[in-house]
Amino acid sequence: MASATTQEEQLIAEGTLLDPVVHKHPRQFYAAMRKLDPVHYDKSIDMYLISRWEDIQEIQRDPITYSVNKGYHEQQAKGFAEEFQQILREKGGGYFPDAIMSDPPYHTRVRKLMENAFTAHRVKELEPRIEAVVNGLIDEIEDRGEMDAVKDFAQPLTIRIICEQLGLDWHIKDRIARWSIAVTAQIGRMQDRAEMLEHAEQICDLQHYIIGKMRERQTDPREDMISDLVHAKEGDGEGSVLTFEEAVSLVRALLIAGNETTATALSNLVYILATQPEVLKKLQDSVDDDKLMNRFVEELLRIEPPVRALSRMTTKEVELGGALLPEGAHLLLMYASANDEPEVFPEPRHFDMERKNIIKHVSFGGGVHKCVGLALARMEIKVAARQLVRRLKNFRLAIAEDDIAFLPTVATRTMESLPVTFEKVA
Amino acid sequence: MSHIVVTLTQQDGTVVRIDDATADESLMEAARRAGVAGIVAECGGVCSCATCHVYVAEDWIGKVGEPDEVEDEMLDMVDHIRRPNSRLSCQIRLSEAVNGLQAEVAPDL
Repeated sequence: MASATTQEEQLIAEGTLLDPVVHKHPRQFYAAMRKLDPVHYDKSIDMYLISRWEDIQEIQRDPITYSVNKGYHEQQAKGFAEEFQQILREKGGGYFPDAIMSDPPYHTRVRKLMENAFTAHRVKELEPRIEAVVNGLIDEIEDRGEMDAVKDFAQPLTIRIICEQLGLDWHIKDRIARWSIAVTAQIGRMQDRAEMLEHAEQICDLQHYIIGKMRERQTDPREDMISDLVHAKEGDGEGSVLTFEEAVSLVRALLIAGNETTATALSNLVYILATQPEVLKKLQDSVDDDKLMNRFVEELLRIEPPVRALSRMTTKEVELGGALLPEGAHLLLMYASANDEPEVFPEPRHFDMERKNIIKHVSFGGGVHKCVGLALARMEIKVAARQLVRRLKNFRLAIAEDDIAFLPTVATRTMESLPVTFEKVA
Repeated sequence: MSHIVVTLTQQDGTVVRIDDATADESLMEAARRAGVAGIVAECGGVCSCATCHVYVAEDWIGKVGEPDEVEDEMLDMVDHIRRPNSRLSCQIRLSEAVNGLQAEVAPDL
């Protein structure tokens, strides 16, 4: 019989993130890496996988040595980057590098311009509106007794909210879902050329749409975030306003990031309600306890992080976790692994809302690049959880757990669909 | 603009006196400028991370005031190290009224 150690050694020797089995059930692979090779070179994607919590912290503390600009843009459309950029230049109104996926000091300026939109206080004011949207969605499904939690609940909720915040038309909701997949696939490392071409076409469509909206707001500003970005100003002189190219990239990032990752978290929420009856019971008993609901959200994000991993690139030779990385090493920060580290989070697979270090999870990343939309994401998840638990009960998966399919990407862990059944609370 | 003086005690016991703080910044921003250890401010000062947590000296609580609802929720997340005088320093606006403010940096999580 193979011992656990031998199995782990074999996983390290042969495992790769592109392996369909590892992709679907990555936790054993994470555990083997943390134990035997915490800075593990994955030759199938030519990247170093950083699996330990402490090493990820060290990277996040030093955004100059570990460049997001190089890491992200190296990852983008990997294998087809030149062709991808050319398509966008020729048919998509331009190739706009992601202004927020950059390094200090440039990043500091862009980030500052975005932060005001996302303060926890501003998000608090949105709570009643988010609740109304959630209730509207539940109204539509409550008598059916079944839904696809992804397409009937999670996606329409996040798309609705981000559309309202940005000032976009709700009728483009199906296009937003397609655009999200197309943009996310560019950092996913699992698309072939035919898929890249299809995705590039979607991104051209997306850019034409937002450029049109931005031009409108240039002359006719309204009370929405597109107007805020087009007219954003911080300080005086050179660099105090965003260039149009920068603003396009930021609107694109808000529209996609504000949608895809939060929708994944909401799907995970329904998954937990359907598979962890004791967690559901605790929520039912304490649904009016705001403090408990906040803790539920954090533990949900820890135990099922929507973003599996994001990238960095070293700008000089550096020692990390006992390994010596050369300059130009392309890294993947394995957030899902760090959240699962038993030395940091005892019994990591146990859903425990009472963890003292509950906000030490890295699901929002960290350091200067920590998710700028985290307050909005938390609020959407909390309100959704509260209303689902108040109005529905007896959630059950309508397919076998092993039949749940995930989007082909190393960047997120996104269920393609999640059919569940439920009953109305009498 | 006249300067405001604030004094922060780090977890290692080092006392950092900042004598050039201004009324257009938060306590967190002044502390970050001065490189005070333990004031990380990961979220950039938008009350969303609890990494700029301080204990305001008893004498100053009245002048600094209580956390509002949003800040209170964030402090709930770290309630094992929360004290009655806990505040997130990004939410403390500096002004002449708090000139001389003293606080202790809360421990890391």
